[in-house]
Amino acid sequence: MTEAEVQSAFDDHKDAVYRFAWRMSDPAAAEDIAQEVFLALLSRPERFDPARGTLRAFLLGITRNLALKRWRDAHRWEPLEEEGFVAPPDDLERRDTAEAVAACVRALPPLQREVVILAEYEELPLAEIASAVGADVGVVKSRLHRARQNLKRMLQPLRARAGAAFQATDGQ
Amino acid sequence: MDPFDDDELRFLLRTWKAPGAPASLRAPVLPRRAAADRGGVRSTFARALRWLATGSIRIPVPIGVAALIVLALWAYDRTPPEPVTVPAAAPVTLDDFRPVARLEPRIVGEP
Repeated sequence: MTEAEVQSAFDDHKDAVYRFAWRMSDPAAAEDIAQEVFLALLSRPERFDPARGTLRAFLLGITRNLALKRWRDAHRWEPLEEEGFVAPPDDLERRDTAEAVAACVRALPPLQREVVILAEYEELPLAEIASAVGADVGVVKSRLHRARQNLKRMLQPLRARAGAAFQATDGQ
Repeated sequence: MDPFDDDELRFLLRTWKAPGAPASLRAPVLPRRAAADRGGVRSTFARALRWLATGSIRIPVPIGVAALIVLALWAYDRTPPEPVTVPAAAPVTLDDFRPVARLEPRIVGEP
């Protein structure tokens, strides 16, 4: 990659990479992870194959792997995916809405959390999410469905609080 | 209450905002590349040297342990035995040789 291409890749994707790392991992680690992602791109640019997906999906894939590695180091005996995971409604009374949403998303198993973040916050199409996480589109759909069901269960108490604001936007 | 649909969920999720990349992210990443791009072959060599000095390789633990054991056995096998020092024998000369002055044969065995 030329210096101009690297600069362009950095400018185009640094925010998405940082936001994904920030939501997947703890905010303190986000900058380290984002830095490692772009240094990985600089040291081995030939690893990116345009035929396999977009550069953003490639960079988010590296981010994902680094975030999961940190999670595995901190949760050595827990599985990444818990298909039987059913989230209970959370006690959200004492939190503000954004804080409550953050807690609920972070409470999801990592493989559900990543697809929700990429779909709802980074607005990636399913094919790019599948490329980033290294899974089939069908698997991504299934995880996304379970993640949404869990989030609805956890965030049910917030509906009354947020209901008026949602009605005002007419769901936009 | 109406069922909780995906649009309402999305509305709630979007209340959680994430910050953009901090300005401090740029400095560790791009200046290294700018330095590496200058110098062509020399920069490739410099990067290789830097990797040798600071890089790392991940090795599975069983392979690492097996490699250490093989190395230890090889090092033990190569250790030369301690040399046995034999004192040098005194050189033999005939300088002090004197023939017998008087011969007295005696038959042994009979009382």
